[in-house]
Amino acid sequence: MEFNRGDSGSNLQSEINITPLVDVVLVLLIIFMVIVPLLMQGYDVDIPKSTNAAPAQSQESRLILIISATTCGIVKPSAGEGLPTDCRVILGDQKIAATELPARVGDILGSRPPEKRVLFLAADDRLNYEGVLRILDLAKSGVEDLKVEFITAN
Amino acid sequence: MRLGESAKMQASINVTPLVDVVLVLLIIFMVMAPQMRKGPEVRLPKTEKPSQQGDERGRILVSIDEGGRLWVNDKQVAAEQFGDALRAAVAAESDPKVVIRGDAKLNFRQVRLAMQAVEQAGFRGVGLIAKGRNAGTRGE
Repeated sequence: MEFNRGDSGSNLQSEINITPLVDVVLVLLIIFMVIVPLLMQGYDVDIPKSTNAAPAQSQESRLILIISATTCGIVKPSAGEGLPTDCRVILGDQKIAATELPARVGDILGSRPPEKRVLFLAADDRLNYEGVLRILDLAKSGVEDLKVEFITAN
Repeated sequence: MRLGESAKMQASINVTPLVDVVLVLLIIFMVMAPQMRKGPEVRLPKTEKPSQQGDERGRILVSIDEGGRLWVNDKQVAAEQFGDALRAAVAAESDPKVVIRGDAKLNFRQVRLAMQAVEQAGFRGVGLIAKGRNAGTRGE
């Protein structure tokens, strides 16, 4: 009996417990299986059908955001995060700092029903694409369900 | 005594083959993941809060690389043939939606022209793909 007990005790210690290893590997496998479908992130934008056609909204209720290369110098690809602090944009008829954009867009469009929350965006050709998207990101963060229409005509 | 010992040995499940199989599967997925991407390598713009655009399968991927060259899915196309290439890609998809993957270094002009071309090919609305700050799903 004594011999037996000693035997079984050493048996237990000699085996490596691989259950945690299996757990970790299975979790890793699941993570990779989830990543493989390659989910994308981005911004849904529209292009106004035609400037000549009857506008869906009356002219004065249209909110237009103009990003000009002279007031917001994001011409070069940016190295880090965010926007230059002196970046100014024209929202409606007012020139505001880009950092105020979420609050101002929220003020103007927040009271409208979600289907009428449309922002028309006109950006200078010389601007850096990443910079334009960062401004678009700021505008979108101001109000939910914001529809963006890019004015792409020359 | 001998019988008792052999019964004890059979009582524990041998998980070594399971671990082998799972490790091999893991390696296969690790190797395949970068190769399943469509289109050229594009350094996507980094923004704060891009919204989910879903799975890239079933989307028509329009990529604009650092040099301003246009790609439709895996093929590079000339600007003049862009519309045709796009329509050809549409035929292969049941519910086509176009997304534009533009390089962060581009000028807005190049993206604007691509958006116009997509519009002229008969699509309403595109997705501009970016990379969220804390998302590592598809980048570089």
